[in-house]
Amino acid sequence: MDEGRCRELKTRSADPAAVEMLGVADREGFATIWDRYEKQQPQCSYGQLGTCCRICSMGPCRIDPFGEGPDRGVCGATADTMVARNLARMAAVGSSSHSDHGRKVALLLKAVASGRNRDYRITDEDKLRAVAGRLAIPTEGRTADEIAVDVADAAIGCFGKQDEEPLVFAEKYMPKKRFELLKGLEEKLFEATGAKMGFLPRGIDREAVDILHRTHFGCDHDPLSLVAQSVRCSLSDGWGGSLIATEIQDILLGTPKIREVKANLGVLEEESVNVVVHGHEPVLSAKVVEMARLPEMQRAAEAAGARRVNVVGMCCTGNEVLLRQGVGMAGNEAHSELAVMTGAVDAMVVDVQCIYPALADLCSCYHTRFITTSEQAKIPGALHIQFDEHNADAIAMRIVRTAIEAFPNRNKARVFIPRHTATAMVGFTVEEILKALGGTPQPLIDLIVNGTIKGVAGIVGCNNVKVQQDRFHRGLTEELIRRDILVIGTGCWAVAAAKAGLMDQSAREKAGPGLQAVCGQLGIPPVLHMGSCVDCSRMLNLAGGIADHLGVDISALPLVGSAPEWTTEKAVAIGTYFVGSGIPVHLWPLPPILGGPEVTKILTQDARDVLGGWFFVEEDPAATADQMEKIIMERRAALGI
Amino acid sequence: MKRIFVDYKKCLACKACETACAVRHHPSGSLVGALGDRRTEIDVRVLGIEHESFPLACRHCDPADCLSACPSGALARDPETGAVVVNPDLCKACAMCASVCTFDAISFKETHRARHGREVAHKCDLCTERLKQGERPACVAACPSGALVFGELEQNRTQRAARSLRTYLLGEEGLPPLLEAYRELRRKEFAARRGEKG
Repeated sequence: MDEGRCRELKTRSADPAAVEMLGVADREGFATIWDRYEKQQPQCSYGQLGTCCRICSMGPCRIDPFGEGPDRGVCGATADTMVARNLARMAAVGSSSHSDHGRKVALLLKAVASGRNRDYRITDEDKLRAVAGRLAIPTEGRTADEIAVDVADAAIGCFGKQDEEPLVFAEKYMPKKRFELLKGLEEKLFEATGAKMGFLPRGIDREAVDILHRTHFGCDHDPLSLVAQSVRCSLSDGWGGSLIATEIQDILLGTPKIREVKANLGVLEEESVNVVVHGHEPVLSAKVVEMARLPEMQRAAEAAGARRVNVVGMCCTGNEVLLRQGVGMAGNEAHSELAVMTGAVDAMVVDVQCIYPALADLCSCYHTRFITTSEQAKIPGALHIQFDEHNADAIAMRIVRTAIEAFPNRNKARVFIPRHTATAMVGFTVEEILKALGGTPQPLIDLIVNGTIKGVAGIVGCNNVKVQQDRFHRGLTEELIRRDILVIGTGCWAVAAAKAGLMDQSAREKAGPGLQAVCGQLGIPPVLHMGSCVDCSRMLNLAGGIADHLGVDISALPLVGSAPEWTTEKAVAIGTYFVGSGIPVHLWPLPPILGGPEVTKILTQDARDVLGGWFFVEEDPAATADQMEKIIMERRAALGI
Repeated sequence: MKRIFVDYKKCLACKACETACAVRHHPSGSLVGALGDRRTEIDVRVLGIEHESFPLACRHCDPADCLSACPSGALARDPETGAVVVNPDLCKACAMCASVCTFDAISFKETHRARHGREVAHKCDLCTERLKQGERPACVAACPSGALVFGELEQNRTQRAARSLRTYLLGEEGLPPLLEAYRELRRKEFAARRGEKG
């Protein structure tokens, strides 16, 4: 490859494994997200400004941002109405995706506890009892199944209940001061405006449907009211759907423990059957890992000429099985096509969310079986093996067999696995963090109070083709730890940090002196992997635990959030529930709101006074870290520390 | 002579001009008819140059290099509108016009106006038929943000100059502040993608 092209490919990803694979893509003539992105240029600014409304058939309408053309849609909707409605719909979709994931595990727990499902079991009874305790469900003298039925019912109730009371999960998990603030805010806003606006989520499904209703033609046009409902719906995700997903997955599949794994494409094995599990829901992928380890599968793999069946993860399904079963992590979202191009993937098994449909065509250029499994995510060109929790073992086994059968068709001459992996210490759930601290958050609080650690930054989410892959994740993380700010996070950020070696113990050398000493003492890296994107609830939980321990609101704590390479509507919901929980959130790339001056003001300024959390936008990692540090220092000063 | 002027900072890359052009030049005169029809002629293309976008079409130069270069007399100037127009029946598809065009605004394909299934030159005709009916070109009429303006050069120049001078002399605001922010952040986004510091 000529030097110029090589330089160009390096601008696509900060990960050397990706750059090597992009060379393969070039040689073979495969299009990737980066090529398709180029072909999409220039992208429409109305969409990027949020001022394109396609809600009714009198439209589509657009507002002229230069103030010379139309300043209203046909119905009279202003730019701010359009922006707020579009944003609300993004929050509703994001929240629904996480929450629907949570619904499935809640239903599964019920089925397991009532003896209707024998493929899964209650793996972590301690966690079950802890969750029950939190929800004030009696545990004394009761069997695990009896408790689990009640926990499952409580969770299922959060989705479909019709009264006006807050979700029981939100009420029991949210720190007291935050709960009171949101409740008081509803009253205050009613007094000030005479109009009802709510923040505490009543029903998970209801809050999303509420947005679908109020953004229908001719309903809610008030930017503030629309933003308030977006916050409520997002909170129904963070303190509802996602939280339920995390807690019940821990009960069913086990609460992750601290362990070491390998991350990056180098986890693929030339001599093994490689199965990549990609998507978000671990209920199936955990089974695939389990079945792949059975002796009969080992024998089948050997019979096909392979060393073993090597299941590796991708995206958040990857995070889930990496945390619980210690499999290798092949990569984050932007790695999905690149993994197939190694020619060494025998099956890519996907469930839901963040799966490029382009994978179907790409897999057809190799021997790779592209297997869809979810009723909610079918992709033309894929082999669909319908997953069913009630027949999970058999289906997972069929999937593993399909991969083994594909192995002999692999063209060995075409295999190229970039030799990049990094070691990552993962599995820092709230339980594990507390255990490391001796059972109470007090030591962490002391470290923050005495300034050894200035504060904590939670980073989440995605790769985005508009940002050089992992550049912002790596850059921001390094900048923060250098400033003695502990970094925790989830999702594709976590994979980026793992691949970059930032979750290895040796990364503490990159941390400031305070954080470095703490890491040395506790034997942890300065960057903590807390899980998949539904596991952002673990971050809320940690923040909430500290807030309650100190008897303050989350918004008083020196915490900040960031989604520096965000792509999805789920990230909108996550960012919004962080803000609604009192945490300032940095975003890059630009969210589609700048076309609405009032909405922009509400989200970037007014929210600060009202919720204690707000959004800000910044392109440069160092400048972002500056702003985050400034916020942390301001909060420390306000606390008098 | 009236021309289409491009105020590129106002182009939001919505491509309404492309769609309007396609519909205008399709025999059905409808979007449904033009959809999926490979012979549909689109004579304006919104090009992305980093974070900027620019709707590119024939500038109808006078004198026009393409017109001088055409060996078969397929290109001519419409006396009424001054537009450089193609007669596809005479076009030999030699591509001399495209070779000399400063703006790369001439394409070739089998359009609905091409006979005998041949590829012929196609380019913006300034919607001469519409102009003769007192209408503006289809792309200009469709542009929702005022990036495309049809008018006399002098008048347009004076208007634009006066608007700019209000900013320089009176300190009046140019673009709305959030739009300035949007443009600046987009510039940074593209600079970062090139591996440069914003």
